[in-house]
Amino acid sequence: MSNSTDIAPREPWWRRWQRARERLAPVFGMNRRNVELVYAHNDRRHYPLADDKILCKELLQKIGVPVAPTVAIGRGLFEVDSVLTTLRDRVGFVVKPASGSGGDGIVVIGERTKDGWRTAKGRDIPVHELRQHLANITFGTFSKGLEDRILIEERIIPHALYDAFWPNGVCDLRIIVLRGKPLLSMVRVPTRRSGGRANLHQGGIGVAVDLREGITYRALSQGQLVDTHPESGEPLLGRRLPGWDACVDVALGAASAVPLGYLGVDIAVDHRWGPVILEINARPGLEIQNICGRTLGEALAREGLS
Amino acid sequence: MSNSTHERLRRLTFAVLAVLILIPTTAFVYKVTVLDYRLANILPQTEYRVSLRMALDGGDGRVRVATYAPADDVRQTIRDESQSAPQVLHHTIEAEGLNRQAIWLGAPVPDDVELRYEFSAVLSAVDFAIASDLEVPESYPAAVREFLRPTDAIQVDAPEIRERLHAIAADRGPLAGRIRRIYDASEELGFRTFKGTTDALTALRLGEASCNGKSRLFVALARAAGIPARLVGGLVLESGSKRTSHQWVEAYVAGHWVPFDPTNHHYAGLPSHYLTLYRGDEALFRHTGEINFDYMFTTRERLVPSPEARASFSAFNVWDLFARLNLPAALLQTVLMLPIGALVVVLFRNVVGVPTFGTFLPALIAAAMGATGLRWGMVSILVVTGSVVAARLGLQRLQLLHSPTLAILLTVVVLSMLGTSMVADRFDLEELARVAHFPIAVMAIVAENLYLVLAEKGLRSGLKHFGGTLVVVLACYLVMNSMAMQVLVIGFPEVLLLVIAANIYLGRWVGVRLIELWRFRRLWRGEEARA
Repeated sequence: MSNSTDIAPREPWWRRWQRARERLAPVFGMNRRNVELVYAHNDRRHYPLADDKILCKELLQKIGVPVAPTVAIGRGLFEVDSVLTTLRDRVGFVVKPASGSGGDGIVVIGERTKDGWRTAKGRDIPVHELRQHLANITFGTFSKGLEDRILIEERIIPHALYDAFWPNGVCDLRIIVLRGKPLLSMVRVPTRRSGGRANLHQGGIGVAVDLREGITYRALSQGQLVDTHPESGEPLLGRRLPGWDACVDVALGAASAVPLGYLGVDIAVDHRWGPVILEINARPGLEIQNICGRTLGEALAREGLS
Repeated sequence: MSNSTHERLRRLTFAVLAVLILIPTTAFVYKVTVLDYRLANILPQTEYRVSLRMALDGGDGRVRVATYAPADDVRQTIRDESQSAPQVLHHTIEAEGLNRQAIWLGAPVPDDVELRYEFSAVLSAVDFAIASDLEVPESYPAAVREFLRPTDAIQVDAPEIRERLHAIAADRGPLAGRIRRIYDASEELGFRTFKGTTDALTALRLGEASCNGKSRLFVALARAAGIPARLVGGLVLESGSKRTSHQWVEAYVAGHWVPFDPTNHHYAGLPSHYLTLYRGDEALFRHTGEINFDYMFTTRERLVPSPEARASFSAFNVWDLFARLNLPAALLQTVLMLPIGALVVVLFRNVVGVPTFGTFLPALIAAAMGATGLRWGMVSILVVTGSVVAARLGLQRLQLLHSPTLAILLTVVVLSMLGTSMVADRFDLEELARVAHFPIAVMAIVAENLYLVLAEKGLRSGLKHFGGTLVVVLACYLVMNSMAMQVLVIGFPEVLLLVIAANIYLGRWVGVRLIELWRFRRLWRGEEARA
């Protein structure tokens, strides 16, 4: 690669320093995110709404924001057996701890087997093992709390484009919203290395999405810019995401439904239902700036929010 | 949040900050100007712990061992004297002329007996200026006249001494000039280590001598010149063990005994690591014969608050408060330094971006490390967390509930501390044995956190957090155990308001953390890397 800086005379150090400072100014670090976005716009007493998937889901359903259909809810150990009864003949559902974080405790069930189920990853789970898992969820094993509730939803079948990105799981679309304005968005694509999870720090790929057009323009895997999925070779850039306007509408609808001013809305696009809310986050991470190659400061300025 | 709320919040923050800075600054200025606090007193002093071990074999007869015990004077303060000896030996300290003599006396003792005499000394340097027009007095007080007389080893009246005195022109003129020339004459002797004593005349004839020969020549010349002078014996203190004692001199000038060390080139003054054991031409040890006597001085240094600080920091004297309440001084230091340690943690977490376990656990651990010292403190942390994480990995198989697990880990912490103390005791590692000072619950929480990160986020993340915690513990230790910092906070407790002010400032500080500079380097460096 050659560019003009090779030929241009080197700038004095203080000029480069000044320029770096100017470029650094709109970068949001942890301190600035907390003080200027989280504390300023989110009242702490509303955090449970974002942290509790069941609470959040009920709220969203009430005002008509699409979510994945609920199969069953278990409020404690005493309901584990009735939940299992509901699931008896079912296939294609997801077990979640209501207050889990980072995808801990989530099990995606694919088909039925002789004495139980098979997970999406192909592992057999006999009934007694699922019962144990449900019990563990109620004990709070995945939630750092004393106890938790069980949420069982229908399994999402991703839209063809997302399925092409990663066929063995769910890519999620995150849109950062501040006071009704979308700031940045990305798609998180799982990899084998991330264990099928979309979390960036576990090895997922972040794909930046242009907010206006819904077209992907940049992808980062493990801190490296990539054009294609390093495992499947699927092109990641220049892809137009299906139903983009609906996705943004759903995100803004969810944002307006909860009393939080600053939030990250996670969406999955199902091929039957279109966009549904997976969860909302009252303290969304800052890595999205690296993914998008854009700072939160620039995004705020563009929306006239700074 | 609207702009006006934002503006109101800003103004409120400024107002609180202004008050929190104004109060301590005012108190500070008041104390220094009106109450005569001296900032120099904040600096700690070195306290030497000197241990004299004497070994001897018994015999048929009674045993007597005598040596000199240091006394307080303007230069030195001695405290915490102690001795140990077999029961059959009777120990006394007796005044003997100018000196204090430590004596062990008693019945026949078995072979291989050890006597131990220990004390702590805080020393200060002195430096005298001798007025150039001072004349040598005609007469002296009776008590001083004794130090003009010749002795067997200080041949004041020997013709060669007189001749040398004349040759260097030290027998005439003002006192300052004479002393300077006498000092030069004894200083310029070649140095040579002699065993035993060298008298003044021998030193002069040989043209070389060890410290006692040079000193005797100085004393002989000074006395011949009409200036009272005497030998001083003592130790040049430095950490470690040694057998070598040292001799220097004092000359009586204008009512003061002014020290000179012609061997180590100290003119009319001494540095602060000279300990005086006795004055006069004495032998450091006297003992009954045939006991195969041997000895060793071992010195350790540590920093202590200067006594002037304690005396002068009189307003709201927390020192005396703790003394009245019968609380140990170490507790005072820990309590007062915790907010400082917490501020250090805040700086590391919010400005640097170092990940740590718990918010203030590093400060609590650092406080406990005051007892063990840095090296053994770190060893203790590694031993304790290592064993607890191992135990936690074992417990994982049992799938126990949270609280009982923590209670077991707490017990493992206690057990590993006991074990460490026992090993330390076995190998005579006194500092390591003090691992019991570690806050047990804090250690259990650190280990549990380490286990959780290891289990949930993997080895890399676990080591990052643990390493971060150790780095911050180290920084907290250095700041919290800085004696100057401790005396500053004890003398000026109002600096804690400044700590609150600093935390308020940092609490609203929205700058990018140092580690985030690296994390977001693509966004501000303006360069791209493509895989």
